[in-house]
Amino acid sequence: MLRHLFTLMWNRKRANGLLVLEIVLAFVVLFAVGSVGAYLLGNYQAPLGFEYDHVWHIQCDPGAQPEREQFATWQQILRQVRATPGVLSVARSSGNTPYSTNMNTTSVVLNKGKDQRELPPQVDYSTVGPELRELMHLTLTEGRWFDRRDEASTRRPAVITEALRQALFRPGEPVIGRVLDEPENAQIVGVISAYRQSGELQEPRPGILLYVGPQDTASARNTLLVRVQPGAGAQLEKKISDEIRAINPTWSSTIAPLAEERRTQLKQGLAIPVLEGVVCVFLLVNVALGLFGVLWLNINQRRAELGVRRALGATAAAISWQVLGEILVLTTFGLVLGLLVAAQFPLLGVFNVKVEVYLTAMVLAAAGLYMLATVCALYPSQLAAGIQPAVALREE
Amino acid sequence: MLLSYLKIAWKVLLRRKFFTAISLFGISFTLMILLVVYALFDYTLGPHAPERRADKLLFASRIEMEYKTEGINRSSMGYAFLVQHVRPLRTPAKVSISESNWRETVAYVGNQTLKLDQKRTDAEFWQVLDFDFVAGRPYNQREVRDAAHVAVINEATARRYFGRTLGVVGRTIELDARPYQVVGVVRDVPLLRFSSYADVWLPVTVTTDDLHSPDYMGSHQAILLARSPTDVPLMQREYEQMIARLPLPDPVKFKKITSEPLPLRTAVLTRYMGAPQVPGGDAPFLRRLLLIGLLFMLLPALNLVNINVSRTLERSGEIGVRKAFGATASRLVGQFLVENIFLTFLGALLGVALAAGVLHVLNDSQFFPYSNFGLNSRVFGVALAIALLFGLLSGAYPAYKLSKLPAVQALKGDLGG
Repeated sequence: MLRHLFTLMWNRKRANGLLVLEIVLAFVVLFAVGSVGAYLLGNYQAPLGFEYDHVWHIQCDPGAQPEREQFATWQQILRQVRATPGVLSVARSSGNTPYSTNMNTTSVVLNKGKDQRELPPQVDYSTVGPELRELMHLTLTEGRWFDRRDEASTRRPAVITEALRQALFRPGEPVIGRVLDEPENAQIVGVISAYRQSGELQEPRPGILLYVGPQDTASARNTLLVRVQPGAGAQLEKKISDEIRAINPTWSSTIAPLAEERRTQLKQGLAIPVLEGVVCVFLLVNVALGLFGVLWLNINQRRAELGVRRALGATAAAISWQVLGEILVLTTFGLVLGLLVAAQFPLLGVFNVKVEVYLTAMVLAAAGLYMLATVCALYPSQLAAGIQPAVALREE
Repeated sequence: MLLSYLKIAWKVLLRRKFFTAISLFGISFTLMILLVVYALFDYTLGPHAPERRADKLLFASRIEMEYKTEGINRSSMGYAFLVQHVRPLRTPAKVSISESNWRETVAYVGNQTLKLDQKRTDAEFWQVLDFDFVAGRPYNQREVRDAAHVAVINEATARRYFGRTLGVVGRTIELDARPYQVVGVVRDVPLLRFSSYADVWLPVTVTTDDLHSPDYMGSHQAILLARSPTDVPLMQREYEQMIARLPLPDPVKFKKITSEPLPLRTAVLTRYMGAPQVPGGDAPFLRRLLLIGLLFMLLPALNLVNINVSRTLERSGEIGVRKAFGATASRLVGQFLVENIFLTFLGALLGVALAAGVLHVLNDSQFFPYSNFGLNSRVFGVALAIALLFGLLSGAYPAYKLSKLPAVQALKGDLGG
């Protein structure tokens, strides 16, 4: 039966050309949207590595204050914010805090010269104070976090993420104590699970966090991450903002809860994919309508043939299965062509996306297409099954 | 004749209700999407409050300096530069200078943080554009000159800060810990009206930025109002001549200064789509948009062609009789086109209703803050035009096939195909 259907459809390939083309288009669209969806979902599910509830991001701007006076003011601000009731802990940070629009990446080089290992400049690079671990509930998997000994260190203590460990080192290789050539003089003291600074929608990147001590005047002079008591709201915000202004009126500050910055980032990141989804729905509806129309035409033209089949003993169910089978065979033709196009993407490594994303999208698109074809064939196949042999044969 | 065609069309549509329904669904769905996109386009770039007199307005918001080596430096314009060179222009009826981007400011009320968008403007801003004042008045030239701490707020801010929109004029609002006296309350301006949108408007002189810096580049823009639409090209030319006469700030580094005053649609499109800011700079983008629109219509049109061709075969008996009685091919084609356009017009009506629904949902969700999308005469006009185009596109080929149907075979009942 199946071979018969395939032969039938192949013989009529020119007549069904438009339909196959529409099916290929539907597959490509489903594949594109499916890839985007699978990519975003995959990124969303990967662990963040931190907790953002009740954490605020305070960004300060020294304004017109001369640079040599800025650090003293900064230390005053730190002391004042730490002493504010309602504030549980405060950590200095570089400007690329989680969910902010800032990004800072570096390349990482180990063993310059012989056995050099290098990662391209897509490693998240942050400078943070030692309070960050308990502030954001980071998970330590190896070694230790920053502590008092690092204040006197001659090297620059660094903590790397699991992703960086896997990218740079062989499994099982000891990493604690290794010194990197880029960032220069960075010594690894520990490994955390993750610190996805760019949020849930971006692909997880390897990251490295460098230590900022209390006397460090070079980095982390404008940004604070602050953990506040649950329930703290605008009043605490206003208090902190007024305190900073009171210490020095030239300084200005913006305070935003990480949860709010996350919401903004999600909204912006999902706007285009949602639009693509709408366009996809539009195209699919039209392809479905196209399928309906062509099937109806087809059945109308074959009334005599179907009438003969009924007269010769085919049941109504067999007729409707035949119609359904024909449309599924057509879908398979379109699917094969569509897969040829879609297979180029993982083969050429377009957009640097993992192969699993493309494979998932192909499977989803194929399943979706078969479902679409079946739904479209239901009514026409009922029509075909309803053809009375006596009436159909007498129509001439 | 037309009336009988329409009656026949109606009867034919009723014959196969299911397939009429799916054709109508396809057409109305397509039209709904196209109309929503056009309504958004018109809302952002057409003459709406507060830029109602868009045919008399020019926006000068960017100045470009070309380096002698490669590269250009593009930015908004400096305040002092605009005051010295753009305000004295003779052709415009009025010139307004304002900040070209809104900034975020924070107000605390009770246990709430309000993040408000603030824009600093001069007094002429309110005369060049048409805001709807719900209460009070805009700040005047004297207040701008004195850098008075006064503010005009929109209804949403009044409601969120004071709890009501009436009786707030004269009260104080604290922004970034500085007090301002409210002198006027305006109706909400949608975020999509980029040149005039804000939650709070302040006098341009109330700022810590250096307004006397002679730098050509800064963070301000100018809006020019012409006396009549015919004055607009003259205004443009006077501005260009003024730019041409400017001395280069650093003749060693730069070789040319460019700046163009643009009408509303061009100004917004070129600025936010990254196109060159010249008159007609938005043309490639609009052409691409039109092409995408046509492609959008292609698939539904193809479907409709298919359905129509199959309908043709059903009516072959009727057509055979008419041909035998002397109907010419052109008359049959005409009749069929009328029937098809009747169908697409029905679909357009449904599409307009669906589009109205979608716009209502968009308004409610406030996805674009303060948006108030609606259907206006331009949108209806576009709906009719698309329906006509659609009807002709999808009706041409089936009509041609229909007229070529051999009469004798049709009368015999041989459906051919």
